[in-house]
Amino acid sequence: MATKGRGSTGGRIRERRLALGIRQAHLAAEAGISASYLNLIEHDRRPIGGALLGRIAEALDVSRTMLSADVDESLLDVLRAAGAAQNLPSEELTSAAEFARRYPGWARVIAAQAERLAAQADTIEALSDRLSHDPALAEAMHELLSTVAVVRSTASILASTPEIDANWLRRFHANLDADSRRLADGAEAVVSYLDRAGAGNDEARLTPSETVAQFLDGRDHAFAELEARGADAIPELVAGLASPEARALAAEVLTADAEDAARLPLEILAEAEQPDDLLEAARGDAALVLRRLGVTDPARGLVVCDASGALIRRKAVAGFSLPVIGAGCPLWPLYEALSQPGRALVRRLEMPDGATWIAHAVAAPLPQTRFDAVPTPRSTMLLTRAVRETGPAVPVGPGCRVCPRGDCAARREPSVLPG
Amino acid sequence: MTQLDQSARPRVLLVEDEPNIATALSFILQRQGFRVSTHSDGATALEAVARHAPDVVVLDVMLPGKSGFDVLGEIRSGPRPELPVLMLTAKGQAKDRERAEALGVSRFMTKPFSNADLLSAVAELSGLDIPARPG
Repeated sequence: MATKGRGSTGGRIRERRLALGIRQAHLAAEAGISASYLNLIEHDRRPIGGALLGRIAEALDVSRTMLSADVDESLLDVLRAAGAAQNLPSEELTSAAEFARRYPGWARVIAAQAERLAAQADTIEALSDRLSHDPALAEAMHELLSTVAVVRSTASILASTPEIDANWLRRFHANLDADSRRLADGAEAVVSYLDRAGAGNDEARLTPSETVAQFLDGRDHAFAELEARGADAIPELVAGLASPEARALAAEVLTADAEDAARLPLEILAEAEQPDDLLEAARGDAALVLRRLGVTDPARGLVVCDASGALIRRKAVAGFSLPVIGAGCPLWPLYEALSQPGRALVRRLEMPDGATWIAHAVAAPLPQTRFDAVPTPRSTMLLTRAVRETGPAVPVGPGCRVCPRGDCAARREPSVLPG
Repeated sequence: MTQLDQSARPRVLLVEDEPNIATALSFILQRQGFRVSTHSDGATALEAVARHAPDVVVLDVMLPGKSGFDVLGEIRSGPRPELPVLMLTAKGQAKDRERAEALGVSRFMTKPFSNADLLSAVAELSGLDIPARPG
């Protein structure tokens, strides 16, 4: 007997009959058998072949081969999925088996292409995700697209303005020359970056810490549930994360946030304008003040690093990019504070775009778990856009890879941005 | 546009810190007949809005100091909240567009755009029926 199911002869008869909207009794009458016998055939409980198969094939307007040849079910699944993805109507989808039997070679080609397209879509989605969440790549792409814009605009002017003045012509030619070289350098830098990012790794997969970073960014690091219900809210907050490692890591972060919220609740924060106003309420814990202002105020950024300088929490704020991968700018007071644990610093910073920021930073050791243990400090930095403050500012950047400051003595690696 | 006298020509305030883009956009807008004043940062652009009474503002998102979003917000809360503003950005991310729309942007264009599209948008925002040249 043939394979049971849609790939069997009985199954294919039933599939074709339903696709044509023919009642079982009608087809049975056409084929000269009873409806109950046809029912047994369709469910592979009676063998079929010979003249009867010919009559049924004729009644269903297909060849005997279309009904008797076996078709790989996995191939049919891929074909149906490909058709569904293209919004084929259901009556077309039911003819996938007939198509595969009639044109098996083409069916395999279509299935292979559909699978390749799906894999490419996954890759594109992963790259798009990386673009959305990696400020380094986003900045590089921004620069690249800006340069494309000026090249396109200038080239259009030259192509559509034959009567252009000689001075303008020279100027546009010079701009085009400079911008096209900038474009080539920028494109090369982005391609090189993507090559490095994808080398040896499946970029579609995120590490637990990347997953948690996305989770926190998705809520802008602010959780009203923690403010209202404390740590009791954590299980439901992390339930949507896929891996147990990510859930555990997120729970650890949120537990610390809930403890911070209990120590410095929103009603106290609401009465303060500056970090100094909160030090008394925080019993002098400057890091607590910075963390609370950082997570509750959408206009402020927050960065925390461990003793190695690795960034373990990044809350970006518009205008002050933070690197997703790698360390930040060595000139940030975040790192200066590490060398002076306990001393709260205030620094005025100037980003490459000329915007100025006030950075509060402090490093403090984590609580000791045993005597004679090596202290492990963590440094915290709060970023607030400078509005009224004036005076000298420290020139900093978002991190060497996306910093355009070419003459910086602290630079540790080349920038991916065109110079 | 040649039939319009000098004072009837719409005034465009172009806020763009990238000098070569500013040069190209200023050229095509002037060629089309607009009067154009160019500014490379948000603070001077806001002063110019108050001083020169432009008909349309063409505003880049990424600017030194005040961002394009800051400038748009101040225009909308200032004495001329109805002033048409066309924002330009190389970041096609949905959140940028959503933020601009929340602030009340009139039009939003993503770089790279064509000169014709830009001219068409500025003409539409200036309220004049100006046929854009190709390019």
